Amino acid sequence: MPDNDLVESFALKVDALRKLAEEIYSGSEDFPAVNRNVKRILASIEMLKINLETGSR
Amino acid sequence: MPISPFRQREMNKTVPYWNPYLETLPREKLEELQLKKFRRILRWGYEQSRFHKGLYEAAGVVPDDIRTLDDVRRVPKVEKSMLRPIQSKDPFPYGDCLCVPLDEVTAFHQTSGTTGQPVYQPDTWQDWEWWTECWATLLWAQGYRPHDRVFLPFGYNVFVAFWGAHYASEKIGCEVVPGGVLDTQARILKIQELKATAMMATPTYVLGMADVAERKLQIKPAVDLTVKRITCAGEPGGLIPGTKRRMQEAWGAKVFDHAGATEIGAWGFECEAQPGALHINEAMFLAEIEDVETGVLITEPGVPGKLVITALDRIAQPCIRFDSKDIVSFSEERCECGRTYRLIPGGVVGRADDITKVKGVLLAPSAIEDVVRSMPGLSHEYEVVVDKHGDVDHILLKAELAEGAWYDADLEERLKTELRLKTNLGYEIQLLPYGTLPRYEVKARRFKDLRKQGRD
Repeated sequence: MPDNDLVESFALKVDALRKLAEEIYSGSEDFPAVNRNVKRILASIEMLKINLETGSR
Repeated sequence: MPISPFRQREMNKTVPYWNPYLETLPREKLEELQLKKFRRILRWGYEQSRFHKGLYEAAGVVPDDIRTLDDVRRVPKVEKSMLRPIQSKDPFPYGDCLCVPLDEVTAFHQTSGTTGQPVYQPDTWQDWEWWTECWATLLWAQGYRPHDRVFLPFGYNVFVAFWGAHYASEKIGCEVVPGGVLDTQARILKIQELKATAMMATPTYVLGMADVAERKLQIKPAVDLTVKRITCAGEPGGLIPGTKRRMQEAWGAKVFDHAGATEIGAWGFECEAQPGALHINEAMFLAEIEDVETGVLITEPGVPGKLVITALDRIAQPCIRFDSKDIVSFSEERCECGRTYRLIPGGVVGRADDITKVKGVLLAPSAIEDVVRSMPGLSHEYEVVVDKHGDVDHILLKAELAEGAWYDADLEERLKTELRLKTNLGYEIQLLPYGTLPRYEVKARRFKDLRKQGRD
């Protein structure tokens, strides 16, 4: 099992990634090529979050 | 642009787990995570779907009532038969079980309709990421790695079948060969031409392909082909010893089982250690096993019951306490692979619809299959017909002789004896010439209970 610090460090970075992707997404309504690709990235980011989720975080 | 300039270190392909964190979580941490996720998906269904809200309100349950895993049993179960009428409501075609705007749905699949009118299954991109992640978990556990060339001999149509396997193989980094509309001979030749290393199909089709290869193409898969890994789905045979042995011998490959369903997801898998059992992917699913007749939770290992299962992260059409009708039991033994996920010995041994009492004895069709396919001199095909002779239950087993074999009274007697030992029941046996019984490509229907009205 990987140590907790590694999992926590990944989780923090994934959260930063999500914020960045949401920022791009929120300004992309007139730019389908950005909007749809970021939407897909957000789905992958959600999967990353699920992969690193704990019972308390 | 190549990826290599950005790649600092190669992925370690020898890591035995797709997710080393989740797959080895201590049990108490795993259960803590399951409870958190269950509460979240329950609230999601309650707040986003009229169907779920109505169901829970009628039972007097609100999401905040669920504080422990024991509380989960207060939540009403959902059956497939409840989903069919919902789907005649708005929004078309999913009805008010849908928890996301229709624009968010990116994938349609449907159940096979084996047990009645098919159920439609919507998925969002996020759901599809999750579905393929569950498949990636199982394929990695079975030894699939980026160097594998995976051949998928399935129909690529409205049934979910191996769609998840296709995208999960890509996610792992395997090279995927879609064997869609090719016929069986063309598929075998393509496997040979491309030197495919892995394949996925129902046990019925795995055996059928081997038959066609030998009889029509004079190709012996175990010798002439390069498939070393086969993942089965759709039927229980991957963990029925007689069927597994036949598949492994015919292909010279390691054969693994997996369990899943359209409405649920890919919830169970056999790992590379081949413990004769499925692991439940407990980071993504909450599995309960209950007595078929009383509905009481089974807490004792080895006692068969019905699987009631929750997909903890699926959002478009949540699967919350779904009555799968799969008959399973759990074990408290730990697998040598090191995963902390519970084991289901023998996998899915039957369906609650098929496991029936004959002469007062519980009969699982998988037990008959194991006897037939462990018997040298018989082909892979058989059919079981349960009927009444007067007031007495009667079981007819039609079994096919191996190709070129003649009727053999000793074989018939050995079959009767083995069946009695394994199932505690007597059978009328019909030994038929090779090629007499129907062949199936996807899900076989070899068990017919004519005592039940309205069944086919």
